Amino acid sequence: MTRLAAEHITVRRGGRAIVSDVSFEAAGGGFVALVGANGAGKSTLLSVLAGLIKPDAGAATLDGTLIARMGRRELARRRAYLPQNPRAEWPIAVERLVALGLTPHLPVFGGLPGGLEPRLTEALAACDLAEQRQQAATTLSGGELGRAMLARALIGDPQVLIVDEPTAGLDPRHTLDSMQRLRALADRGKLVVAALHDVTLAARYSTHLMALKEGRLETFGPTAQALTPDLLRRIFDVEARITGAAGATLVDYVAPDAGASTGRSA
Amino acid sequence: MTSGSRMPGYIVTALAFAALVAAAIGSLFLGRVNISPAELWQGLLSPNANLAGLVVTELRLPRAILAILVGASLGLSGAVLQGLLRNPLAEPGLLGVSNGAAVGAVISIYFGLSHAFGLATPLLGLAGALAAGALTFAFGRSSTLTLILAGAAVSSLMSAFLAMALNFAPSPYAAYEMSVWMLGSLAERSWDHIFLAAPFIAAGLAILSLMGRAVDALALGDVQAQSLGIHIDRTRILALLGVGLAVGAATSVTGSVSFIGLVAPHLVRPFVGHQPSRILLPSALLGATLLLLADIGTRVIHTNTELRLGVLTSLLGAPFFFWLIVRLRRLAP
Amino acid sequence: MALRRLAVGLSLAALVGGTGPAARAAERPPQRIMSLNVCTDLILLQLAPKDRIASVTFLAPDGAKALFPGLADGIALNHGSAEDIVRARPDLILDSALGSPLTPTMARRVGARVVAVKNADNFDDIRQILRQVGAAVGEPARAEALIGRMDAALADLAAHPPARRLRVVAWSGGSAVPGKGSLTDAIITAAGAVNIAARPGAAESSFGVEELLVARPDALLFGGASLGQPSLLTDEGQHRVVRRLYAGRRIAYNDVAHTCGLPQSADAARDLRRALDALPERRAAR
Repeated sequence: MTRLAAEHITVRRGGRAIVSDVSFEAAGGGFVALVGANGAGKSTLLSVLAGLIKPDAGAATLDGTLIARMGRRELARRRAYLPQNPRAEWPIAVERLVALGLTPHLPVFGGLPGGLEPRLTEALAACDLAEQRQQAATTLSGGELGRAMLARALIGDPQVLIVDEPTAGLDPRHTLDSMQRLRALADRGKLVVAALHDVTLAARYSTHLMALKEGRLETFGPTAQALTPDLLRRIFDVEARITGAAGATLVDYVAPDAGASTGRSA
Repeated sequence: MTSGSRMPGYIVTALAFAALVAAAIGSLFLGRVNISPAELWQGLLSPNANLAGLVVTELRLPRAILAILVGASLGLSGAVLQGLLRNPLAEPGLLGVSNGAAVGAVISIYFGLSHAFGLATPLLGLAGALAAGALTFAFGRSSTLTLILAGAAVSSLMSAFLAMALNFAPSPYAAYEMSVWMLGSLAERSWDHIFLAAPFIAAGLAILSLMGRAVDALALGDVQAQSLGIHIDRTRILALLGVGLAVGAATSVTGSVSFIGLVAPHLVRPFVGHQPSRILLPSALLGATLLLLADIGTRVIHTNTELRLGVLTSLLGAPFFFWLIVRLRRLAP
Repeated sequence: MALRRLAVGLSLAALVGGTGPAARAAERPPQRIMSLNVCTDLILLQLAPKDRIASVTFLAPDGAKALFPGLADGIALNHGSAEDIVRARPDLILDSALGSPLTPTMARRVGARVVAVKNADNFDDIRQILRQVGAAVGEPARAEALIGRMDAALADLAAHPPARRLRVVAWSGGSAVPGKGSLTDAIITAAGAVNIAARPGAAESSFGVEELLVARPDALLFGGASLGQPSLLTDEGQHRVVRRLYAGRRIAYNDVAHTCGLPQSADAARDLRRALDALPERRAAR
């Protein structure tokens, strides 16, 4: 089973610690939601876990191997990374964009080897993009682009998927669709680590919760136990109410001056 | 708007190659001196040395081959740089490499080094190109934007050196010759020039042709490309090295020829789509064809003083810029 | 003075310059003569004694070295700038007709006369110029002597025409070839040869290797780096076809005598004749 571990990861920028002494261990089959206020260090931590940034102290390991020492292509084959608001810089066709996910598997020259064509078709179908195959990526809607990028990430069949804000800018339908796909991935045995700004989504879909406050790890554990109003108060500085049974949880924030409740209750 | 390939890649390549061959053949038959094709053909076949054969083998053939090498260098460099920087305005001049080559070559001429040993001018041109590229990389390596800015800065610096060379020219004739050289020309180039420049051009082209995978991945942005296993720094170094070698050697032999590197990829995209790796080879072929046609133009357009290659490409290339803007305005409301 | 400046029509300038100062020169010849152009330098150096020459351009020593070594030694050099004019305090300034428009203004300031000398395109022009400068500097007799010597050399050449009128072109790379109406053309004609670049039209034009091969001149002339500096022209002239076909048939000439109209231009014609006479027979036609 895949294991992603962080040991005392610290990242400093301009004298300040963006990420400070973060340690945790996650295994395949889990969907880890990373939550925290703006500037808490979520994106930086994800970059370190993806092997894109070297930490100033500590290390991340994948199945026991130091990520920083791993060969680039090998790392690229085993984990996929999606930044916030991924964009295509040229109006290339959707199928070519998705095929880019196979880069670490391809030789220096040549187009897609014939043997990989079925995989491309499969990946497109799995993300409901079969119809948009030839369409220019720059003309896709937000939801379609999100799915295309996800297909790009998954076509290489990585063990780990690291995503930064997968639902940014998506409407409710596509948001739920995206979250369902991620959870389904985890259920199939992959490890998914996603930074989320919406804690309700985290509550409903993730298996584990990781919370950062000013670069430090506030909690890491199974969602049901880790998610408490106290945690939310610590990391967001707001009062929160968690209602609803598992799978239909709702996280409700209370405005500081309101006193009385403003939201709906379950 | 679909932008998948309009035609299968091999058809586009075949067409581009055919156009290139046609232009090359045209280049052999056209020149400032009218020799009929029949005469030329007979001259080639005849075992004795004769005027027509000499004109073809010693003048027009090396000129055509050099045009192909230089045009391919410019076209391929433009395509790679546009893919690397994700900027449709990128071309070899953008990173200061062309001007660096010009400075190196002008230094060689100015100090008479080319008399000391024959390889001086191409080697110094190369040195200038690589030095400029290294300077651009050193200052601009942190991001794409800084790379473009550093390239502009280095280009200005090299221009300043060129202006200085003109300023301190030892005689008015030297100044005139330097400025005329900088206008770019393929006239009176011989096999000597090919032997000097070809190895470096070939090396540069070889490096650039390996960059398909990297520029494709960069279509997703620096971060995603990196996550796909692309070494961003190494990619930039290789691009600068390849462009420096190819364009550096080319410029040191012909002077500054602009716009081919910018225009060729743009003309190729409507046929091949926007995927960066697919425009590399067609851009090289089209760049070679464009330069051949421009060179034919300088010989066929009758002027008293030689019409310089760089002047013709600029006169044709600048309007292309305007057309690009108009097209952009139409597409992006 | 301003009128003269406007007359880029060179003959007008020479005409006015020729008649005006004649009377004045009779009184007392100019004592501090300054020349702002290398061609007028070289004429001045041959006409006036050193103690009356205030300054010549920095290009003069090189030109003098080729023609009459030592004649420029010890004379102050100028770069044609306004400061130089002020420093030299000349009473006569010799300049090219196409010289800087600032010169008359500066001349007025220091109280000097300006004589504008046109570019010589043929031997008639050279005679005219020598007389003009001779009168201006107060050495008309010397000017006539130089003209006499030049004419004698030309007459000698004309009296002994060569067995065959060889076809030549002054070619060193193709971009600027002296054609009809240039001084080089006149020198070639005086030497008894034919300038194949003498087409009607521009006095200078492009003449590429292809045209060269088709025209098949008997010899190529090329200006040596007489001003001392290397240049691209000498580099480009080395196209390997040209090297091969014209090995031993390339004749060097002294740039200075071809660019500036000097009495030595006749010597250049004589040198050319000697070189042409010494050419080996052409190999069988291809």
